[in-house]
Amino acid sequence: MDKFRMLFQHFQSSSESVMNGICLLLAAVTVKLYSSFDFNCPCLARYNALYGLGLLLTPPLALFLCGLLANRQSVVMVEEWHRPSGHRRKDPGIIRYMCSSVLQRALAAPLVWILLALLDGKCFVCAFSSSVDPEKFLDFANMTPSQVQLFLAKVPCKEDELVRDSPARKAVSRYLRCLSQAIGWSVTLLLIIVAFLARCLRPFFDQTVFLQRRYWSNYVDLEQKLFDETCCEHARDFAHRCVLHFFASMQNELQVRGLRRHPAGRSPEPCAVPEPPEDLDSGSGKAHLRAISSREQVDRLLSTWYSSKPPLDLAASLGLWGGGLSHRAPTLALGTRLSQHTDV
Amino acid sequence: TMDKFRMIFQFLQSNQESFMNGICGIMALASAQMYSAFDFNCPCLPGYNAAYSMGILLAPPLVLFLLGLVMNNNVSMLAEEWKRPPGHRAKDPAVLRYMFCSMAQRALIAPVVWVAVTLLDGKCFLCAFCTAVPVTALGNGSLVPGLPASELARLLARLPCPEIYDGDWLLAREVAVRYLRCISQALGWSFVLLTTLLAFVVRSVRPCFTQAAFLKSKYWSHYIDIERRLFDETCTEHAKAFAKVCIQQFFEAMNNDLELGHAHGAMAMAPASKAAPMPPDGGEEEREKLRGITDQGAMNRLLTSWHKCKPPLRLGREEPLLMGNGWAGGGPQPLRKEVATYFSKV
Repeated sequence: MDKFRMLFQHFQSSSESVMNGICLLLAAVTVKLYSSFDFNCPCLARYNALYGLGLLLTPPLALFLCGLLANRQSVVMVEEWHRPSGHRRKDPGIIRYMCSSVLQRALAAPLVWILLALLDGKCFVCAFSSSVDPEKFLDFANMTPSQVQLFLAKVPCKEDELVRDSPARKAVSRYLRCLSQAIGWSVTLLLIIVAFLARCLRPFFDQTVFLQRRYWSNYVDLEQKLFDETCCEHARDFAHRCVLHFFASMQNELQVRGLRRHPAGRSPEPCAVPEPPEDLDSGSGKAHLRAISSREQVDRLLSTWYSSKPPLDLAASLGLWGGGLSHRAPTLALGTRLSQHTDV
Repeated sequence: TMDKFRMIFQFLQSNQESFMNGICGIMALASAQMYSAFDFNCPCLPGYNAAYSMGILLAPPLVLFLLGLVMNNNVSMLAEEWKRPPGHRAKDPAVLRYMFCSMAQRALIAPVVWVAVTLLDGKCFLCAFCTAVPVTALGNGSLVPGLPASELARLLARLPCPEIYDGDWLLAREVAVRYLRCISQALGWSFVLLTTLLAFVVRSVRPCFTQAAFLKSKYWSHYIDIERRLFDETCTEHAKAFAKVCIQQFFEAMNNDLELGHAHGAMAMAPASKAAPMPPDGGEEEREKLRGITDQGAMNRLLTSWHKCKPPLRLGREEPLLMGNGWAGGGPQPLRKEVATYFSKV
């Protein structure tokens, strides 16, 4: 149980791990989808290629879009791209980093599908059976070209009467499957080598810039999440006070109308708003609401958050809009300032 | 494993939106499972095939969509917010639109899954379009002109049912089935691609246009939901306190009656103590919870005015009375220094 909780917390800790988790989930869904899909080659001259290639390429495209959809960071990236600069400069390097990390993760599921399809071979056999060169196989020597074409079109369908139990069909089918698997394994090998090289060679290029970009892109994501949470808490406190004010004002109105006597016999006070109960003003209740307690103020806060995000400088005093994102390497000073304010 | 479920449940409930996403996912899975459990049964008769298949393709998605809306408690919230009189609080159509869009988007997922699975499976399409197969291209085209149209239709209508199909001399069943299933699967994948493309465009393009307005609508729709829940909780608390005090008073009254009745007996007590006994401390607390609303008429009036005339979204000490009726606000609102302070609980 603890292990489960730890795993959960680990996944939630950084946005990168969440994205990795989603990526793996989508890859697993792809495998399940492929294995449960019922492949059905039409075995007709022109339709074969369309069907085979369509099945090889359309689901990966849909899965790619799903991968982009499921990834929260793609929305964060577009928001960061389109926001007005305000007090915080925009850094195109961070946007590029986020874009590349989103794309890499979204590409995982489509690649899984394509590799599965190639290694399985059915798609390839269906798509390219009509384009096989009949010269390679002796069985076709005594058939007219149109007969050969018809035969080849039916190769993917084992049960069709024309090609059932035909050694020629098996030969063509085996040839194509072998080709398909060779291509599949080559692509796999290539991808792994590319990934390996990219990972190993990255430290040779711009390591410091890379570290900065990774930090700030993680930061942007976390900041958005925290803002949403803070807004939710604020809304809760706002609502709480609003409801209690409402009850209190009702009581006041009743007093004013003389419909009831106050139990302690105090004379009604027509114009005073009764004090909200003490518990409202206790610590956390007030802390969240302090200056933001009307619709206009909330709207203004949200507009300002969008149009003019605060500068990334916690040491600047409140209300002072300092410089924007700076490209200084994360110095020790910044680190110590941060540690005063964070309470992880 | 119960702990595991509880944790997952808590995680999903922590945020209203992620709870709705969870329900959404469950309904999508349920939709796929329902399809695989459903026993498709094509009638194999010329006029009925198309009607049956279209029914299977379209009626369950409609049901799933409505079910998705029903299971979303925000529907009643949306209706309430739409119909309430403005009162002290102006209505914001952008918030209503946001609420409706987010509900509709989530409710659409299960129907889309049903349609996609139906098309990818192919039985439905086969049943609907078996009479439209191009016999000349796929089978013995030379025999077609000799057949009357109704006979041809009757023959082809039996394609989906292998055990009664008797047209092999005209058109091999497997060929036709493969052909139709191939088209059905192509349509299915195109449909999936189209919907994901649409969803992707909507999600990516939105921040380019209306981000500030979107943040506001999102905040106020959460607010309305939370306020409604808190109001219900406060009313429940009030009702409990009301009930407690009511019962206490009843018992006290009974007690008094009994004492009066026994005035001659041994239990006669001194007049001074005839005064209503001090309610125990718990009773005082309960009266506080009543917040001054202590009779049915007052409570009814409170509930009516909550609906008719919601309080304005403005908290503050110098507030004029929140109820109208002649208690129009005092002087102009003193201008507050508007400093937006940022609190983060990092």
